[in-house]
Amino acid sequence: MITDALVIGAGTAGLTAGIRLARGGLRVTVVASGEGCLPLASGTIDVLGFAPEAVQSPRGALPGFLDANPEHPYRISGLAGLEQSLAWFVKTTEPLGYHGELSRNQWVPTVLGGLRPTALVPRSMAAADLGAGGEVLIAGIRGFRDFHPALLAANLGRAAAAPAPAIRTRAVELEWPGSAGDMPPFRLARRLEDPEIRRRLAAQLHSQLGDATAVGLPAVLGRERAAEVHADLEQRLGRPVFEIPGLPPSLPGLRLFDCMRRALLDAGGRLLMGSTAISATHHRDTVDSVTITQASRPVKVSTGFVVLATGGFATGGIVRQPDGQLQEPVFGLPVHGLAPGQEPFGDVYLAEHPLDRVGLSTDAEGRPLGVAGGPHAVNLYAAGAVLAGALPWREKSGEGVSLATGWHAAEAILSGRREDAA
Amino acid sequence: MTEALECQLLVIGGGSTGAGVAWDAALRGFQVILADRGDLATGTAGRFHGLLHSGGRYVVRDPAGARECARENVILRRVASAAIEDTGGLFVTTPLDDLDYADRFLAACPAAEVPVEEISPAEALRREPRLTPAVRRAFAVRDGSIDSWKLIWSCARGAEQLGARILPYHPVTAILRDGDRVTGARLHDLRSGDELDVRAECVINAAGAWSGRVAQMAGCEVAVRPGKGVMVAINHRLANCVVNRCHMTGDGDIVVPSHSVSVIGTTDTPVEDPDDIEATAEEVASMMAAGDVLLPGFSRSRALRVWSGARPLLPKTAAAVGDDREVSRSHAVIRHAQRDALGGLISIAGGKLTTFRLMAKDTVDAACAELGVEKSCTTAETPLPGSTGSNYYRLPDHQADFEKGRADNPMICECELVSQADLLEAARVHPKGQIDDLRRVLRVGMGPCQGGFCAFRIAGLLHGHGAYDRTEANATLRAFVQERWKGQRRVLWGQQLRQARLDTWIFQGVLDIEHLPT
Repeated sequence: MITDALVIGAGTAGLTAGIRLARGGLRVTVVASGEGCLPLASGTIDVLGFAPEAVQSPRGALPGFLDANPEHPYRISGLAGLEQSLAWFVKTTEPLGYHGELSRNQWVPTVLGGLRPTALVPRSMAAADLGAGGEVLIAGIRGFRDFHPALLAANLGRAAAAPAPAIRTRAVELEWPGSAGDMPPFRLARRLEDPEIRRRLAAQLHSQLGDATAVGLPAVLGRERAAEVHADLEQRLGRPVFEIPGLPPSLPGLRLFDCMRRALLDAGGRLLMGSTAISATHHRDTVDSVTITQASRPVKVSTGFVVLATGGFATGGIVRQPDGQLQEPVFGLPVHGLAPGQEPFGDVYLAEHPLDRVGLSTDAEGRPLGVAGGPHAVNLYAAGAVLAGALPWREKSGEGVSLATGWHAAEAILSGRREDAA
Repeated sequence: MTEALECQLLVIGGGSTGAGVAWDAALRGFQVILADRGDLATGTAGRFHGLLHSGGRYVVRDPAGARECARENVILRRVASAAIEDTGGLFVTTPLDDLDYADRFLAACPAAEVPVEEISPAEALRREPRLTPAVRRAFAVRDGSIDSWKLIWSCARGAEQLGARILPYHPVTAILRDGDRVTGARLHDLRSGDELDVRAECVINAAGAWSGRVAQMAGCEVAVRPGKGVMVAINHRLANCVVNRCHMTGDGDIVVPSHSVSVIGTTDTPVEDPDDIEATAEEVASMMAAGDVLLPGFSRSRALRVWSGARPLLPKTAAAVGDDREVSRSHAVIRHAQRDALGGLISIAGGKLTTFRLMAKDTVDAACAELGVEKSCTTAETPLPGSTGSNYYRLPDHQADFEKGRADNPMICECELVSQADLLEAARVHPKGQIDDLRRVLRVGMGPCQGGFCAFRIAGLLHGHGAYDRTEANATLRAFVQERWKGQRRVLWGQQLRQARLDTWIFQGVLDIEHLPT
C-alpha cells in the first residue's frame, strides 16, 4: 500500500491532520484500531479551563500559562496556531454548529451538576452556558442509569460561584414510552429520531416548564438526525433545549467523529478502521514505511509523511510495562516525563501524579525526539495526547491541544512541500 | 450526649470472629451487642485471599492445625454453603519444589483427617490447563473459595434475627470498669457523633489484629503480633480450583478463584501497626513473579488490585522467631479473670477464617464459664441464614439470577452484574451505607473498571431515592473513588492502566468531581 501521508489514530488530532492534509492535495490514509477516543469525550472543545485556577478567558490566560509551562504542547502551535485551528474546526464541523470564543470560556453543566469551562460547544449545547445564571429545568428519563436529574439539579443550583448570578433549577423524570429496561445512550438516541416519541416526551414536559428559560436533557438527542431532533424539541417546548453529556459512549462525541470522518472522506482521504500500526522501517533520517494490521495480517504502507496521533495511556499510544518501562509501541520513541525509578502515582487520586504529564517530547516543529536527542525522523510528526507536558482532564485542554497540534502537523507537512515545490 | 444500652455479651470486633461469636451467643440465647470501629468485615477477614482451607497447607508442619481445618471445612460446607464455592483444590509439585516433600505431604494427610487423592500430572493439566506443564506430582484436596463478606453478614443477620444488635462505625473509646470487673465499654457513634455506653455482663475482645489495643484499654495485655499478608487480584479466573504449591509454605504459593477473579497470596511480614500495611512495589513484583511458577504467564496477566491483611498471629513462645509461618495459627481464648484477675473480659486471638466457628465456640464456652451458666453450642448443626447445606455459590448462577427480570431492571455495575433492584435492596438493608459499604455487600466497583461507571450511577440513584442528600452523595462518591485508588496504584500497567486512565477521563474530565459545588 502506498500513501503520501499516513495518520495513525482517528481522534481529534488524527482526523484534524488527516482532513487538512487531504484538502492540501495529499493522498491520506488514516488508520485507527477503533473508533478513536471521540465516543469517550463530551463533544465540547476544551482549550484551557484551569491553570490551575479557573480560567475565564483562554486567550488572556495562555501567554502566562505557557510561560509557566514551557514544555506544554501549546508551545508547538502557539496562540496564533491555536486560533487558526479553532476557526478551521468551526468551519469543518459546520453541520454541528460549534460556537464560542477563545476570549470567553462557557460554563456548561456536567452530568453531576458541576460547571465545567469549555471554549466551543455544538449547537445542541448552545443554551448550556450557565455562566450568567438562569432558570433551568433538568429533565431525566426514568430508568436511564446514566442521568440522575435530582442530584444534577441539586448540585447545579449551588454551582455558580459568587458573585456570579444564581442558577435556579428544578428536576423532573420523564416516563419513557415503552420498557424502561437497560437503555444504552445509542438506543435512546435512535428512538428519539422518531417524532412520535418526541411528541410524547414534550407533552410530559409541557406542564412542568414553569418559568424555566431552558431545558437540560441527557445528551441522547439523536445521532444522524440530531439537528432535527434538537430543533423539533426546542420548537415543541418553545424555549432553548440543551444536552448534558455524560458517561461514555457519548453521542456528542460520536456525532463529532461522524462529522470529521465525513469531512476526511469528502476530501478524498481514506480511513482504515480496525487497523493498528505495529512497526516502521526507516531509510536514513526518514520513515519510509509503517506496517499496519489489516484483518489481523501485517500490511506494509509506504508513506512520505507520518502523523502519530495515537493518544496517551487511555488509548494505547503510550504503554507502561509491568516492570515500569514506558513505551511508544509503533516507533519505540523515548517517553519523557518520569525520572528512572520515580514513583508514577501518588496517594491522592485527584491530585496530580508524576505519570500525568508523560509523553513524547518534540522539536519546535512537533517532530518527536528520538533516542539520540534530535528528531527521530524528518518526516514524522506527533500530535494530540501522545505528547508530553499537558494535563488534558485537569486543565480542560484535551481537545484544544489535539486540534492545535494536529492542525500544526499538517501545516508543517504542507508548508514543507510548498517549499520543496518552489 | 451519652446514651446507654445493656446486654449480656458485648462483642468488640465485627470480623469473622466477632460475627461468629455474636451468632453463636445469640443461638445460645444470650442478649448480644456487637460493635466495630468501621463496617463489618473491614479488618483482616475482608482482606484475605478467600481460601476455605482443606488443611493441606498445614499437614506437614502443624498436623493439629490441619485437623482443625479439615473438620471445620466439613462443618462450614454444611452450615455456610451459600458463602462457599466448592472449587476443590490442587497441591502441585513444580520443578522448584522438593519431591520428598510430596511424599511427606501425602503421608501426613490421613493422620490430619485431610482427604487427599493423588492424580496424574496429565489429569491435573486436564482440570487446569493453565497449570505449569512441568508439574511433577499433583494432589486433589477439598479446598474451597469462601466469601468472607457473605459469611460475616449472614452471621450478623442471623444474630440480629435472634435479637442481637449490630453497631458498625462504633469504635470503642474506653473499657468501663468497676474495680476488678469490666462492666462494658464506651462507644463513639461515628455517624451521629454521640457517645454510647454499653453495659454488659461480659465483654468479648474479638478485635483480631487490633485486640492488643482493646486489651490495653482494659489495662491488660494480649500479645497479638500483626503479620502483613499481600494479595493481588487478577481480572480472570486463571484456574477454577485453588492451586497450591506442594512445599513448605512460602510467598505467593497459592492462587484462589474468587467470584470472577483469581487472587494470589501471600506474604508474611511482621508489622507494628495493623493499620499501616500498604503493599510495596517490590511485594507486588514478587507476587506476580511467584505466580508464574504455578501458572506460566501469570505475571503478564491483568492485575486489578493489590491489598494487604493483618493476620492476628499469636507467638507460641518467646522463642518463636525467624520465619513467621512457624508461628502457630491456632487460636487462644484468654479469660482475663484468671490471668489478670479482671472479671468480665475475655479475649480471643489468633486463628484463621476457616476455623472462625470453632474460635467462636471456644470463646462463648469461656463466656458461659465466666457467667456461670451452661448453654451448649449449636453452630455446627444450625445453618446460617441463606445456607441449606447444599446451595454452594456457583459463578454462572449469578448470571442466571441476573438475567431474570432484567428487562425492567437496569444494570448498575456491568463488571459484577449488579442491578438497580439489587442496589436499592442493599441500600434498604444498610440505610446509612456509604458506596464502599455497599461494595462489600454487592461487589460493586470490584471488577475491571474499579467503579469508573457504577460509582456515579450509585450516587445518583441513591440520592434520587432519598438515601443520600446532595452533599452526602458527593462526599461518598469522592471517598469511594479515593478508596478504590489505594489498591490500584501499585498494579497499574498495560491494559489496566489504560482502564484507569479511562476512569480518570470520566471522573476528572466528564464528571469533574474535583470541582463539584460544596
